[in-house]
Amino acid sequence: PRRTAAKGLRHGGCPSRCHCEADGARLRVDCSDLGLTALPANLSVFTSYLDLSMNSLAPLTAGALAEFRFLEELRLAGNGLTHIPEGAFSGLGGLKVLMLQNNQLQRVPCEALQNLRNLQSFRLDANHIHSAPPGCFHGLVSLRHLWLDDNALTEVPVQALAELSSLQAMTLALNKIRHIPDHAFANLSSLVVLHLHNNKIHSLGEKCFDGLRSLETLDLNYNSLLDFPFAIKALTNLKELSFHSNNIRSIPEKAFTGNPSLQMILFYDNPIKFVGKSAFQHLPELRMLSLNRASEITEFPDLTGTTSLESLTITRARLSSLPGTLCDHLTKLQVLDLSYNIIQDLPSFSSCRKIQKIDLHHNEILEVRAGTFQGLMELRSLDLSWNRVRSVEPHAFADLPLLSKLDLSSNALSSLPTAGLGGLTHLKLSGNGDLRELMSAEDFPKLRVMEMPYAFQCCAFVACERSAKLWDTEESSGRELQSRRDADIAHVLNRPEEDYSLEDLLLELEENPKSKQSVQCSPAPGPFRPCHHL
Amino acid sequence: EVPPSCTRGCELCSEYNGCLKCMPKLFILLERNDIRQIGVCLASCPVGYFGVRNPDMNKCNKCRIENCEDCFSRNFCTKCKEGLYAHKGRCYPSCPDGFSLTNGTTECTS
Repeated sequence: PRRTAAKGLRHGGCPSRCHCEADGARLRVDCSDLGLTALPANLSVFTSYLDLSMNSLAPLTAGALAEFRFLEELRLAGNGLTHIPEGAFSGLGGLKVLMLQNNQLQRVPCEALQNLRNLQSFRLDANHIHSAPPGCFHGLVSLRHLWLDDNALTEVPVQALAELSSLQAMTLALNKIRHIPDHAFANLSSLVVLHLHNNKIHSLGEKCFDGLRSLETLDLNYNSLLDFPFAIKALTNLKELSFHSNNIRSIPEKAFTGNPSLQMILFYDNPIKFVGKSAFQHLPELRMLSLNRASEITEFPDLTGTTSLESLTITRARLSSLPGTLCDHLTKLQVLDLSYNIIQDLPSFSSCRKIQKIDLHHNEILEVRAGTFQGLMELRSLDLSWNRVRSVEPHAFADLPLLSKLDLSSNALSSLPTAGLGGLTHLKLSGNGDLRELMSAEDFPKLRVMEMPYAFQCCAFVACERSAKLWDTEESSGRELQSRRDADIAHVLNRPEEDYSLEDLLLELEENPKSKQSVQCSPAPGPFRPCHHL
Repeated sequence: EVPPSCTRGCELCSEYNGCLKCMPKLFILLERNDIRQIGVCLASCPVGYFGVRNPDMNKCNKCRIENCEDCFSRNFCTKCKEGLYAHKGRCYPSCPDGFSLTNGTTECTS
């Protein structure tokens, strides 16, 4: 049988088929998943941990566990329990952890909880609880962690929760809550984490979060909110706020002035059209800001006092210009993505000293001046594709020692100054019909992937005899390899911010030194695009 | 009848990777076995993991908080390693300024 071992027992035997371990003078007993219908016989009074989950226990009776005064953790998950009578846990004054998740409870078993003064963690998740009457949690003066997620609550049990002033972490996620009334959590002054995701919340009382002065994490994802959650202004210690996947259309001016400690705000998958220019001011701890498809944004946000941004994304808006002071507040910025806007003229990015990746593709940029990217010692990737760049000043890229990826495809270039481009591994210039000049392989000693307007421009990079043979294979595999690379990077960018991390993206930029290959140049010269006449 | 490679509570089992989909309310834990990942269905996640419930799947996620043994969520620790003190879901070698130990516990309070 799976369990007969009983390690180092001194206080009574181990119930048959259970697994027991000595815990100092106490005993840890695991009788889970044995098909039990009643408490096992021969349980030691010195049991401190008892796992009876995933059995088919009949309803507990009053006093059933009274003799186990040393019990600190009791697991009754997955037993199909429909109710728990008064007195079922009497005698368990030392109980710290009680697990009742994944049963069939319709309401919180209030009567059975009255004297659990040391209970710290209480799991009621994955039942069918539709109510928690006032006074229900009376006596749980030590409760720190409460799971009520995946139940049938239609409202916040305000009065029941009011007695839990020591509570620090609570989840009410995956219920059917529609509205959060004012002062819903008024007494929960110690609460640090509150999860409300996957409910049906369509409105919040203006003061519904008042009293939560210790709250650091608030999760409102996957609800039906129409308006910005103004009630967050009471959360002065908030560090992480997420309300992605709602129906919010605008972020107001000074939206987060009450939350100076915010480090992360996630709000993707909302139909946000308008963002107040001052919405993201004075957030000195904010690391990442991502605005996508906010089509009514016409001005770059005022980031005064928001000085720790490492990643800034504003795509598919209608930015037509950028402030000259853009980098004044962004000295720690590493990734900037302003693609899919209507930017024509670029300021200098020189003060963005830490920047490693700039995406400006799909804009209306006309030229690249000498001072635009000057002195960016950490810049690795620059994407200016799909603009109208006609000219690049001679020393525009002269001072970029780590630049390895440059994409100027689909512009209006007729020439390209190569000063400073010796470190490139990826150079894309296709789609510049007037760019016919020949590039010298000596100017690009590290190049590995190259896309040029014309096949003959690849001759200097791909030995001519092999080109005929390679024509078929390279033509397809080169494009296939590149599209997979682009898909990888697009996947990183579009991945829900929840598990998107800055390190992932920056790693994408690291070139794999081990893979030494010949230059993959396209369009590859071949039988119909010969090199030999050059 | 669930093939031998899957524990009870499995709804979709694979001979090679154990359970692919657990029954409602249960958490799936992906255990590593050599180069393989084996899915196991549990009523609660083991120590060092926390459960995340979502409409389509309940999953055990690894607890990655520094010096923490068990978590409530990605950023809240419920049990610190031996010799460390808990404060607002984090673990410290000593209580932050303005806070002290609650008698008989390893938790800092104001």
